[in-house]
Amino acid sequence: MLVQLKVNGRDVAAEITPAMSLASCLRTELGLTGTKLSCEVGECGSCTVLLDGKPVTSCLVPAAQTAGRSVETVEGLASDGSLHPLQEAFIKLNAVQCGFCIPGMIMAAKAALEKNANPTPEEVRFILSGNLCRCTGYQKIVEAVLLAAQEMRDHG
Amino acid sequence: MADKELTVSQAFRSVGQPLSQIDSAGKTTGLTQYLQDLSVPGMLHGSIVRSTIPHGLIRKIDTSQAERLPGVRAIITAKDCPGVLFGPQKPEDWEILCQDRVRYIGDEVAAVAATSPEVAKEAAQLVRIEYEELPAVYDPFEAMKPGAAVLWEQHPDNIAYRFFIERGDVDEALAQADHVFEHDFYTGRFYHAPMEPIGCIVQYQADGSYTMWGPTHVPFRSRMTYSKGLGVSMAKIRIIVPPFGGSFGMKYELNVNCIAAVLAKKCGRPLKFFYSREEDISAGHPRMGLHFHFRLGINRDGRFVGKEARVVGTGGARTFWTPPVLSTACYRIDGLYHFQNVRTEGLLVYTNQSPATCFRGFGNAEALTAFETFIDEVGEKIGIDPVQLRRMNSVKSGDLTLHGWNIVSCGYQECLDRAEEVSGFRDRNQPPKVPPRRVVVRGIGLAGGNHISGNRVIIDEFDGSSAQVRVGFDGQVDVIVGDPDIGQGMNTVFAQIAAEVLGLDPTSVRSLPVDTLISPHGIGTLGSRGTTIVGRAVQLAAEDARAKIVTLAAEMLGMEPGRVEFQGGNASVAKDGNRRVSMREIGTEYSTRHGGAYLVGNGDFTPPTEFPDASKYGNLSAAYVFGVHVAEVEVDTETGAVRVVNYWAVHDSGTVINPSTATGQVHGGVAQGISSALTEEVLVKDGLVTNPNFLDYRIPGFQDIPEMHVEFVETQDPYGPFGAKSIGESSLNPAASAVCNAIYNAVGVRVHQTPVTPERLWKLMETARQGEGKK
Ligand code: FES
Ligand code: FES
Repeated sequence: MLVQLKVNGRDVAAEITPAMSLASCLRTELGLTGTKLSCEVGECGSCTVLLDGKPVTSCLVPAAQTAGRSVETVEGLASDGSLHPLQEAFIKLNAVQCGFCIPGMIMAAKAALEKNANPTPEEVRFILSGNLCRCTGYQKIVEAVLLAAQEMRDHG
Repeated sequence: MADKELTVSQAFRSVGQPLSQIDSAGKTTGLTQYLQDLSVPGMLHGSIVRSTIPHGLIRKIDTSQAERLPGVRAIITAKDCPGVLFGPQKPEDWEILCQDRVRYIGDEVAAVAATSPEVAKEAAQLVRIEYEELPAVYDPFEAMKPGAAVLWEQHPDNIAYRFFIERGDVDEALAQADHVFEHDFYTGRFYHAPMEPIGCIVQYQADGSYTMWGPTHVPFRSRMTYSKGLGVSMAKIRIIVPPFGGSFGMKYELNVNCIAAVLAKKCGRPLKFFYSREEDISAGHPRMGLHFHFRLGINRDGRFVGKEARVVGTGGARTFWTPPVLSTACYRIDGLYHFQNVRTEGLLVYTNQSPATCFRGFGNAEALTAFETFIDEVGEKIGIDPVQLRRMNSVKSGDLTLHGWNIVSCGYQECLDRAEEVSGFRDRNQPPKVPPRRVVVRGIGLAGGNHISGNRVIIDEFDGSSAQVRVGFDGQVDVIVGDPDIGQGMNTVFAQIAAEVLGLDPTSVRSLPVDTLISPHGIGTLGSRGTTIVGRAVQLAAEDARAKIVTLAAEMLGMEPGRVEFQGGNASVAKDGNRRVSMREIGTEYSTRHGGAYLVGNGDFTPPTEFPDASKYGNLSAAYVFGVHVAEVEVDTETGAVRVVNYWAVHDSGTVINPSTATGQVHGGVAQGISSALTEEVLVKDGLVTNPNFLDYRIPGFQDIPEMHVEFVETQDPYGPFGAKSIGESSLNPAASAVCNAIYNAVGVRVHQTPVTPERLWKLMETARQGEGKK
């Protein structure tokens, strides 16, 4: 079946099966492999994208249910060749090691900062607690999110 | 004996800078392509048919139903495979697919190629296997008893590998010692949990060769192992290493590559395997469970006089990297403390579980967990502060240890001093006599650790690394090594080293991906050897390139080579007043003169290590590293739940090339160490893994790991680049014992097993309370 949706601001159509997840649709049908799959059962957050602005684990969302809706993935963050403040901050502070969790992490952080532009470190830890990372021990990710929040408040 | 030529790190331009990982733009934008994201035109998908029983003979395999499923392209069994036993270590006990017998739930019996992962999986479930079940054994002590089920007839006692080391006269030393203490500890089966599970893509070529894509710490060793299994020469196997989605020791040689090779050849199409999380946990290769038994002789003044130990490992049904892990668990700690007399026996035991392998820390993390909790207890019993006990007995710069290891530089004392100072450990409270009830109590614990920077015994043939630093036609400077970046940022460190030598902006330098077809033969990224051994080769290669650049630049500028200078910042490399040539001009000039050839600097480094003799005497590593961790915990005495609330880590890693990525290594190592101490254990019941998902196998999240305070004490070591030593594994090593010691300090009970789950701690506290009640 054909599903029509908006991905990163662009109208797209994808050929899907009824059982296909949004994550698979993005990765295999639309070629957007930035969204990562790590557990495929909603337990790690690696596949986090924004669906109508809200963070979802895209491995659990049936692609069929996204018809007419708007999806934002990590590929949509940078604009005109300039990185999003979250991307800048993650790079600057080495909040990235292997990087496999990072697309989901950044999407979850983006949604979080839209709701709370000035979080405390504890709030960052709480809001992102559904996203797992095996490399970093989280500290630099917390610092990067706080730095990005600061940047966005100052220049947003 | 620090090298006189070394200058202090402040003088460096690139070395010592907190540079961002040079490949992090791709990782944050989603453009980096991991194995998960790769595909090859015409690619099929594979799925492994795994044994559903722990031990049995294969009576019949019926693939007919699976073959009829639309989309299935090929199915293979042992009949399609060469049928030799092979493997990365001795004993060689791998089969590409089980010949006639399965030895664990998950053992590989057949494999299916199909047009999609879903169809492949469905077909795999349709393959019918009839077994004649055999008795199985899961506990290593049971497995060693006469009459136990035998996994391999060649090993009737189920002992896959035995390690023995003896130095001095332990019996006499223990007989003469003022005190002899004993200690038992068990470290549980622990899963690497990289965010990207195991996988590979394999393509069979018309010339009879195989191209394999997949993360591996050891691409060149993998080539050796697979070539034996597949019965082809090494040159017929090409391994291309994409960016890693984590590994921590899991992705070395993996049999799935050989399965994929046989299947790809049979269907004449490239093929991809990618494990589900469940498969990765239950049929993958975790850290083995290790049982430690120590007897320690100690004099009244606190001097160790002898140590006897027995280490028993639950290896699983086949042998991955467990033999060297076991030996490391037996004697690496002898390079941290002077025990004077030692005798250790290690036994690696076959059991009907999935084969275990190495994990960051490589047996030493486990041994330290066992020993550093012991030393805490011993110190208390004889009335000597445990930090003082460590100070008195530890190795120091310039020491030659019992087994012939040259401890050229050692900052352990400084780490102890600094850790005590910053954490407030000195002012800790006494532990309660009995665990109090219905309160949340705090406690603080300290533990130390050591590790190596490269290990002579990884391969028989040689120790060392080589590198090329290459200037292209356009002046682009590239570093080429045979040892892959495993996600930790090693390529960034190499860029910094090359940039330092060539006076370049490190962000302009690239480190090329490893491809066995073109990269130099590297031992691999293991044994914490990357920065020190490979990095030194990169430094030497850059120096060789620099010499060639100087010669050419002098000619181009018409000046004496001795007057050529390298300027930092951009690509300007030589100057004399207003005359300068850029790296671009150098590259173009060189290539133009030499038929397009690159200007190549070659470097190779052989560290001053010795292959151990028959008694296992010989200097194992170029440089030894040390660290001390302090954990502060909160224990809920009603539930046994433990939370780490503060953490301090102080490390001696020599010169720190990149303080930001090095600190990141410590953060990640500590997080893994904390959860190995508290929560993570692969649970196996009758051979079946009962927690094969992230809900039941909980790796720590944001709220489980505290803010960490990380410091480095810098020592000077002559062998690594600019005095650098390692950090990757030493970052994890002391963590679990620091947590266990903090638990003791909080509630007054000693733990003898990790992970210290709430249930286990609750039981220990209840036992202690009841014991007190009876007094
Ligand atoms: S892959 Fe979707 S939550 Fe783990
Ligand atoms: S950076 Fe590797 S999993 Fe987060």
